[in-house]
Amino acid sequence: MIVSAGYYMALAAALFVIGALGMLLRRNVLVMFMCIELMLNAVNLTLISAGRALNDLNGQVAVFFILVVAAAEVVVGLAIIVAIFRRRSTASIDELSELRG
Amino acid sequence: MITPPEVSWIAIAPDLILALGAAVVLLVEVQWKPAARVLGLVTAFSLVLAVGATLLQKLAVEDAMLAADPERLVAFSGMILMDGFAVFSRFALLGATVLGVLTGWRYIEGLGRRGAEALALIMLATVGFSIMVASNNLVMMFLGLEVGSIALYVLAGMSRERPESDEAAIKYFLLGSFASAFFVYGVALIYAGTGKLAILDIRAFFDQFIVTSPTVIYIGIGLVIAGLGFKVSAAPFHSWAPDVYQGAPAGVVGYMAAVAKIAGFAAMARILLTALGDLDSIWLPIVAALAALSMFVGSTLALVQGDVRRMLAYSGVAHAGFIMTGVVGGETQGILFYLAVYAVQLLGAFAVVVAVSGASGARSSIDDYRGLARRSPGLAGSFTVLLLGMAGLPLTSGFIAKFGVFTDAWNSGYEWLVVVAVLASVIAFAFYLRIIVAMYMDEAEEEAPALVPTVRWVVGLAVVATIAWGIFPGSLLDLAANALAL
Repeated sequence: MIVSAGYYMALAAALFVIGALGMLLRRNVLVMFMCIELMLNAVNLTLISAGRALNDLNGQVAVFFILVVAAAEVVVGLAIIVAIFRRRSTASIDELSELRG
Repeated sequence: MITPPEVSWIAIAPDLILALGAAVVLLVEVQWKPAARVLGLVTAFSLVLAVGATLLQKLAVEDAMLAADPERLVAFSGMILMDGFAVFSRFALLGATVLGVLTGWRYIEGLGRRGAEALALIMLATVGFSIMVASNNLVMMFLGLEVGSIALYVLAGMSRERPESDEAAIKYFLLGSFASAFFVYGVALIYAGTGKLAILDIRAFFDQFIVTSPTVIYIGIGLVIAGLGFKVSAAPFHSWAPDVYQGAPAGVVGYMAAVAKIAGFAAMARILLTALGDLDSIWLPIVAALAALSMFVGSTLALVQGDVRRMLAYSGVAHAGFIMTGVVGGETQGILFYLAVYAVQLLGAFAVVVAVSGASGARSSIDDYRGLARRSPGLAGSFTVLLLGMAGLPLTSGFIAKFGVFTDAWNSGYEWLVVVAVLASVIAFAFYLRIIVAMYMDEAEEEAPALVPTVRWVVGLAVVATIAWGIFPGSLLDLAANALAL
């Protein structure tokens, strides 16, 4: 059975929405961070299936760049989270509320 | 046979120079641990060279335009454009970087051994954003956006002594990455719908074909606008801005805000006006609605802020709305002029904040400004000029900028948006006046703040530019008018 690109793109859209909802609903910084990774991977799946369906390499090559960007984001994001955790021993976004107004 | 790719070094020369400068700063720091002044000189040297390279680019653009050979301006197999639009935006970015480093110099020195990292990050952020404004490929644009944004996330969290800085960094990081994911998903959907990633190819595609089932492309456009809206802090995506402006070290906030706005709007103009110009019936209502909301939300929320940096953040939201009014107007001249003028005013205003509240402190309550006119009349006078410029009083550059974008929007048939914009400007006057009244009407309590020379230069320059471009805007307007996108 051949699964058409449309199904992959629908799956990617579902993953993206799950990631976005998780980002908005979850309160743990690490989980929010994972949701962003999920969203980026949904983008990758979209690009790959679109590139495959269009018979065009550009979309598939773009995925490499997005993977690298995601890795760079992980490095910086985890460093910031570790810095916060050292100071406050919490990873909940609700307790980071000194800036208000 | 393999043909080597055509490399046009001049198209990325400013970026190469700055990236090299950042590497040199880091290596020199590791090897010799010199005084901060030496690193500052290396940075200044790289910035001067980068400005020189951008001047060469400008000459090359003029040559190509005279020869009626725009193909020459497409570099790296259509990845990078060296058009007037990119060159003008690069000048604006480099100018903001120079002013930003000068404003934050005391703070960077105070970081000690980590000062080199701050300088390198500032240069790398400029590299990223300058690639972003010059890219012709949506993935390239995303890479530039991320190089710039990731450097800014680190800059926001650099002062380890203060908990607010961490908090600002994590908020900026989470919401910024969230926005980047939206942007790149939009890019992926536009690619899925058109099969193109290059901006000029997308324009050619829409010139040639009528898309029969455009839903995917429409969703993609919406996501791209939302992603860039986050970056330029347009309402309703502005929630991070006040916290970051307040929590990040004051010395670099002005720089962060200015370059993110310049690059975000340049990218938005390039994508919407150039690539998707034929689909304007789709995106014009979205952008107009966001513009109206930003102006309204920014102006009204700024009224109730008790902290000058939060107030400047909400005023930034309102300004994002005004610049989006220019995007609705569809003329790059108005957008670029507004960006240049606003970036200078913003950097000047934050230089005043640095002078009054210190370069690393988080509190910049409006109480600190009470009676400033008695303590240091020069500083108070300068801040007044800058605030009036932001408000758009006639005889300041802000007025010309606002007038330009309002006229463009009116001519493109969005009269209601101009009415909203004028009302929002009136509300905005109120909160700028609130600070001015506090500075002039109230009694002084503290002593005059000690002015760092570099900060004084930035404030002076911003004031001179605000008045000069308000009375003689011709030269900058001409530059912006000639800065056409391919």
